[in-house]
This record gives sequence, structure tokens and C-alpha cells, in this order.
Amino acid sequence: MNLREAVASATAYPAPALAKVRFLGQDAPYWRLLIRGALLLICTLGIYRFWLTTDIRRFLWGNTEIAGDHLEYTGTALELLVGFLIAIAILLPINILFFLAALDLGLIGNLSGVIAFTLLALLGQFAIYRARRYRLSRTVYRGVRFYQTGSAWAYALYAVMWWVVIALTVGLAYPWAQMNLERFKMRRTYYGDLPGYFEGSALALFLRGLPLWLLVIGPLLGGIAAAAHAIDWPALAEAVNEGGSGLGARVEATNPGFGRAIIFFFGAAVWSALAAAVFYPAFQAMMLRWWSAGLRFGEVTVTSRLRTGQIYRAYFRFLLYGILFAIGFSFVAFAAVGAVNTLTGKFSSAEAEELLTISAAVVGYMIIALGYSTIYQATVKLALWRRGMEAAEISGIAALDRVKAAGRPTSALGEGLADALHVGGI
Amino acid sequence: MISGSGIFFDGTSSARQEVTVELAPADLVLRSREGQLLAQWPYAELNQAHSPDQVLRLGRGGESLARLEIRDPVFAAAIDEKATAVDRTGAVQRRMNMKVAALVILAVGSIGAMILFALPTLATRLTPLLPYGVERKLGEAVDAQLRASLGSDIAGMPLECGEAVGERPGRAALSVLIARLEAEAAWPMPLRAGVMRRQEPNAIALPGGQIYVFEGLIAKAHTPDELAGVIAHEIGHVVRRDGVKALLETAGLSFLFGMLFGDFVGGGAIVIAARSVLQSSYSRETEAAADAYGVALMNKVGGKAEALGALLSRIDALHGVGPAILRDHPQTAQRVAAIRSLAKPGAGRPLLDDAQWASLKKICAGR
Repeated sequence: MNLREAVASATAYPAPALAKVRFLGQDAPYWRLLIRGALLLICTLGIYRFWLTTDIRRFLWGNTEIAGDHLEYTGTALELLVGFLIAIAILLPINILFFLAALDLGLIGNLSGVIAFTLLALLGQFAIYRARRYRLSRTVYRGVRFYQTGSAWAYALYAVMWWVVIALTVGLAYPWAQMNLERFKMRRTYYGDLPGYFEGSALALFLRGLPLWLLVIGPLLGGIAAAAHAIDWPALAEAVNEGGSGLGARVEATNPGFGRAIIFFFGAAVWSALAAAVFYPAFQAMMLRWWSAGLRFGEVTVTSRLRTGQIYRAYFRFLLYGILFAIGFSFVAFAAVGAVNTLTGKFSSAEAEELLTISAAVVGYMIIALGYSTIYQATVKLALWRRGMEAAEISGIAALDRVKAAGRPTSALGEGLADALHVGGI
Repeated sequence: MISGSGIFFDGTSSARQEVTVELAPADLVLRSREGQLLAQWPYAELNQAHSPDQVLRLGRGGESLARLEIRDPVFAAAIDEKATAVDRTGAVQRRMNMKVAALVILAVGSIGAMILFALPTLATRLTPLLPYGVERKLGEAVDAQLRASLGSDIAGMPLECGEAVGERPGRAALSVLIARLEAEAAWPMPLRAGVMRRQEPNAIALPGGQIYVFEGLIAKAHTPDELAGVIAHEIGHVVRRDGVKALLETAGLSFLFGMLFGDFVGGGAIVIAARSVLQSSYSRETEAAADAYGVALMNKVGGKAEALGALLSRIDALHGVGPAILRDHPQTAQRVAAIRSLAKPGAGRPLLDDAQWASLKKICAGR
């Protein structure tokens, strides 16, 4: 927006409401921004994503008003592009090394998959931490920037360790992992000279999340345990090792409960998958509420009144628009196929016709993928931001009036790595 | 002098200061409510920071985070009149956008050229430089992966045929066939051939000289020369080192696509789709070249080179479904015609005698 437009669109500006967080962004301009971005993504084979990401952040940050003043996002698309190019320069030799190592038949070759997985997991967490550092250092409020210190490698090790613990405890350690990782991040986060910290309680999150865990993970574990108990393992191994045909009949003969155990297990798995889908918005709302209520900057504290129904409403909107998009897309696709069929009559070679079919399929896939990601951004992602912000109530706001500026803008390498490794954030 | 009010953040602290802004001839003069001079910003140094629609937010350029916010539209318009350096009509922004668009189109073009031309050329150039020992190692790695994906146990029998007592004469016959072809093939390392218990009528060549014929192909072959034709074709792939070339190309492609698309569609599906289409377009010419090599080899050993065409037509009649561009082999009619045009009449005697052929047909009998 240039100055003239700014002036033209200026209206009588409402008086700032102190200690309140408001989100002033309208749906229509956000949809416009996303749809234009999706079209440009197709035309540029995805290169436009750096500009789209920057536009999205400018919209979200700029429309967020805390105690009467707006956040400002000062990052540029060019910085993201450079960060991405540096990330590629780092990842290219690593990829080539692993490709060569995988060819070696010795111990290194066999271990290369494990090493690559570990290294990529570490690098992914490293990228997440550094990307957060970039975003914070480009977030300005009242002429003072946020920033983050600390070693990204230390965070990566810490995070990978906690994810191992989460896996070993089948998710029960998740609240403690979140609390400790958030503490790690917030203790190294500053707004000017105002230090951040995190006060969310893992036990509180655990108690609140336990019903969800019992509904989603519990049945799956029960199914596995029951199936494992019902099956006579030595007999099963013997039946399988015997070889030859009629495996099913042999298994059933030695293991009378086998069929029922498998059916029970699959029933439990289907239940868990359905429950996960149904309760995911509730989980997201719970996490967002817990997280924002734990944020502290000096004497500034936050509480959250986020209601779970608000997040469900966003997902219903996503489903509704998704169905409408599917209907619209099928109409357009039918028309396009008709047009292609009349066109292909002009091609003599069958190969040209097939090339056309394949490219139509690729373009169709891109449109569907981009369409749904756009709808998701404009409904769920926007709602999470808007509702999360609007539900926040800030106290101790006076501390925000006398913060001294500190911190420097940092490079976008983390963003580039996160992009290349597919661990992106906002 | 025109003046109005604004909100000023000096960039060194978060203090929010209500200021009076005066439009002096050369600069904006910012004074506190008490009249104290806070800052003087020359119009030429002003830049517009991002802000929501209702606010005009000015900075002084560079890395300074000092900000002046004007919320009165009339006064904002007055600053607009004075500050000629501010991009009032958006012309600078538009020129910048055009430049970015041109650069992006250039980048897309060069990436396309890279995929279509540079990558195959690079793979073709690199392949001859690869030592045979490395190629053999590559082949062993591919072999291990192939065996892992096919499984070691096919209905209680090993994946590879020719182990059981009743299968051994077939294996001996296959060795005879391979030895006759190998004598004329210019390949510096021993060729190895095996038969796999798979029902598809197919054969594959791995880097380094390992060839596998599938059980389904032997079942479809009517004469030893038909089978020899397919093996000669696969020897063509080995000698031309097509396997290594394909491996290098796949590695390059998967990396390029994975990087390029980032996570904006959030999936590797497009990578796989694009790769399979591109890969088969590479192998079209390669297949034709391997055909030509195979026919020449069959001509040299005195076999009936045309037999390959007969076998291809027979298999195609049974399996001619699916889009041709996804199949590795160019359209069968074209291939058969090309093979006919190159083939010389054979010596008249098949490459294996009847007894050898009969035992080779039973190489996967299992007993």
C-alpha cells in the first residue's frame, strides 16, 4: 500500500483500548492476498513463496494491536530468499555425502540411514529455533524489537531428547516436554531489555489433556495389548516358518483367537484415528490457551479466555469451504476435460495426447493442493491467530512503557533451512 | 506552517510520545507537547514502514526503528504533499515488482533448462568417468535393495531360480547362452545373469553387469533366440552404462524438485509424478539404443535378431494397457519395425539345442 492509498482508506481512527489485544484484519483482504499468492505460486513454480510468506506476516503482525499500538513485521522476502539459498548450499554437500554413503555396503552404508535421520532431526530443530530467532528480531513494537539469544544446537539436542522421551512414554511426557522446551525458548527471548520467561505448568496441562489421551491413544494401546495377549506367538511363528501355501488356515488352526484379535486391533486403530480427527481442534485450543497463559515478559503477564468452540467453528468453516471448492473444482475440471478432448482430436501422435493428460493431472494436483492450503490458511490458521490474540488479556502493561531497545536483526538462515527441510512455522 | 499531531517512538525506548509535527520547508520537525525539539527528519530520508490501512507509519530509513505514526488522514495527506521521496504513486514499487517478476521468470526458465538439458548432459558426461569398480559397488547396493524389496521367499521357494536339483540343468543352459553373448560383448568385467521367480514378462540390468530375467519372460519366450534377444538388449544397457546414468539423474532430480517446491504443497506426490514422467522420457531413446545394440550383438553371434521383435509383439498383445508415456519402452510397433530393419538373417541354427532349451524352460520348476 502506498501513501495515497493509506490516506484514502484512513477513517476516523478508534481510540486505543488499553491492556487489550485486538486483531483488526478483515477476512476479504486476507483471502485476496492468499488467492493472488496461490496463483503466483503456480506461475513461478513455488519461488513466490518468500514474497507470500512476507505478505502474510505483514498482514498478521500489522493488524495485531496490543494496548493501542500495532506490531510491525520488518522482514523482507529477499532476506528469506537469501536464507534459503544459503540453506541449499549447506544441504547440498550433506545430501551428496549421504547418497554416496548409502552406496557403501559396509557398516557406514548400513548405518547411513540412521545417521541421516538423526542429523536431519537435529537440523530440523536447529532450523526451528533459528527461524524463531529471525521472526522475533523482525518483530517491532513501539519502535523496539524482540530478539532471542542462546545456542540453536543446544536447543536441537534438548528438543530431540524430549521427543525421544515423548515417544517412549507414548505421549504422556508431552506436557513436560512442551513446558521445558517453552521455558528454554522464553528464557532466551527478550523484548528490548525486558526478559521473557514461561510459567505454564506441565501438571496442569497433563491433567487437562489426560481425557483426550485416554480417548485417542488409550484404545490403540488397549487394542495392541489385547491382540498381543490373545495371540499365541510361538505357535504363530511356527505356522509362518513352516512355509508353503494355506498360511491363513494353519494360523487359524494353531491360534483360534487370531482372527478376532486382529479384528479387535483394527477396530481400536480406527477408533483412535477417528477420535484424533474429532478432538484435534480441542487439543489445539487447549494448547494455545495453556501456551499464551504461560507467557511472561518482566512484570507483564497474560491470561487467555480462548473458547474451544471458536476453534471448532474455524474447522467447520474449513470443511464447508473445502466442500464448496471440491464442487467448483469438479465442474471446472469436467469443462477442461471436455475442452482437452476436442483439442486432442487435432494431435496425430498418441504420445502428445498422453503428455497432455499427464500435465493436466499435474496441474490439477497443484490446484487442489494449493486450493486446500489456501482455504486452511484463511480459515483455521487465521482463526488460531485472531482468536488466540483476542482472547489474551494483558496485565502489568505499565512495564511496556519504559523498555530500552536492544538486540540486532539476525540472518534468515534458519528460515531457509526450515523451508528446505519442510519444518516450516508461520 | 502546517502542523498536526502524531505518535512518536524514538527507537531507543518503547516510550509512547504524543508529538506536534511541523512541516518545515526541508524536514519534519517533531516537538513534544512541552515544545521540546525531539527530532528533525529531512523529507528525502523518510520511508514508509508497513502498517495497517488506518495508520501512516514513517521511519527514517536505514536500520533505525524510530517511528512516527499519523492517524489523522488530512494531516497524512499534507505530509504526502511535502515528502517527495516517499513513493507516492507507487511507481517505484511497481518498477521493483516488474524486476522481481522478470527475475523469477528467468529463474523458472533456467531451472526448466537444468532439468531438461543440464541434468541429463551432466549425467552422460559423468558416467564415463566413473571407474568400473565403483559401478560394480553401485550395482551391488542396488541389487541388495532390489532383493530386499522383492523378498527372499516366494511361496516357500527362494527368489532366485536355478538352485534346486531339477533346476540346475536350466542354469547350465543359461550360462551357455550368456557365454556366447559375452564373447562378443565389449564389457571389461564378467557379466552375471540370473532368473527371478517373478511373473511379469520382464528383464532388468543393474549397474556393473548383473542381469535378471523374470520367470514370466521365459514362460512367454517360444525360442532360445527370443530370450537371447532380450538378454542382448539388457547387455546393451550394461555396456552403455545406462543404469549408472539413470541413478545419477534420479539423485539430481529428486534433490532439485524437493528443494524447489519447498513445502508449499506439503507433499512429495508431485515430485514422484514429475520424476516418473521425466525418467521415462529419458529412457525412450535409451531403450531404442539398447535395442540397436542388442540386434547388433545377435547379428555377431549368428542368432536370429528378429526374434526379439516377435517376443515384444507377443507380450504387448497381452499387456498393452496403460499410458505409453509411463511405460519404459517406446511404442512396440515402432521398436519392432526398427529391430526388423537392423536384423540380419541368423545362421539358421538356434543358439541353444532343443534339450538345453527344454531344461532352461524348467529353470523355475522348483524341484
